Amino acid sequence: MELKLLTIGQTANILGVSIQTLRRWDKANKLSSIRRKKTGHRYYKKDEIEKFIEHNTKNLFGLAKKWTAIESTIKIPPIFYCKDISIFQGRLSKLETCLSKVKRIKKIYPLITAIAGEIGNNSFDHNLGNWPNVPGIFFAYDSNKGRIVLADRGQGILKTLKKVKSNLSTHQKALEVAFNEIISGRAPEYRGNGLKFVRNVVAENNIILIFQTGNAKLKIDKSKIDLNVKQTNNHLQGCLALIKF
Amino acid sequence: MIIYFKKFGTTLNSRQFGKEALAAFMPSLRDVKKNEEIIVDFEGVITFTPSWGDEFLGFLQNEYKDKLILKNTENPSVQASLKILEEIYKVKFNIK
Repeated sequence: MELKLLTIGQTANILGVSIQTLRRWDKANKLSSIRRKKTGHRYYKKDEIEKFIEHNTKNLFGLAKKWTAIESTIKIPPIFYCKDISIFQGRLSKLETCLSKVKRIKKIYPLITAIAGEIGNNSFDHNLGNWPNVPGIFFAYDSNKGRIVLADRGQGILKTLKKVKSNLSTHQKALEVAFNEIISGRAPEYRGNGLKFVRNVVAENNIILIFQTGNAKLKIDKSKIDLNVKQTNNHLQGCLALIKF
Repeated sequence: MIIYFKKFGTTLNSRQFGKEALAAFMPSLRDVKKNEEIIVDFEGVITFTPSWGDEFLGFLQNEYKDKLILKNTENPSVQASLKILEEIYKVKFNIK
């Protein structure tokens, strides 16, 4: 358990509320602070603030979807934002620990961690040095509800794959290739095969994956052999993934 | 030579970290004698991804071919990652 204490100003900044709101929440026992004296400064445990955000963000997928909308200017809570792969790696280890405590996925939690890792890696590997505006990824989860959400505001799969398959013209086709074909963008490296791994793992276990890039979306689960990529009305920047287990 | 992957961590993820792990280990590979077996032991690894594996195992497979032996591969993420790497490399790993 991390015992790092945050000041009321830092906490307000993380939660995106005012200091006055935090004082009000404290009085109402909605979010209690730590005070050395009754009239002293308020402090908050970092761990408790993280839990508060997780429990009070009812729709993680909805938040990620709003963030990836093309014209979006919304800011996501820092707890869900991994600006670089080192931060993502640290949080992925934390996810692994959380999932290891969920009994019903005892046998497959390393696989769930691995597919979350590959989807996140994909975002970083394919956008390094080429992020259109916001670098990094959205990464949030609720281990009890069995939900992991990953998203990026990167170039999207079509633009990335066009570099190695110039004849690709639609997001749907690009999504199909990404989940289907073994390809290499920078021989002798086999970059770009992470999503095939994700597909295999989802198809062989009780896991559901919803993945969108641009205006193309797919859903994979154990019962679906075909990818069935559909066109969506909304168009997002980058990629958006929901893993259910 | 035996390489214990858990010495690189229990969550082996991402190309970048796979590359760094290999670069850090490279000087030890200089001690490998001609015809010596390279045993990779997965004991203690919890999460293993193809991207990390491609950077490290890909190199070993290419360099040592039949002399590369994999051990303690029961973990499901190890199994699934080895399966896709075999498909990509078009080889069958020597698993003991």
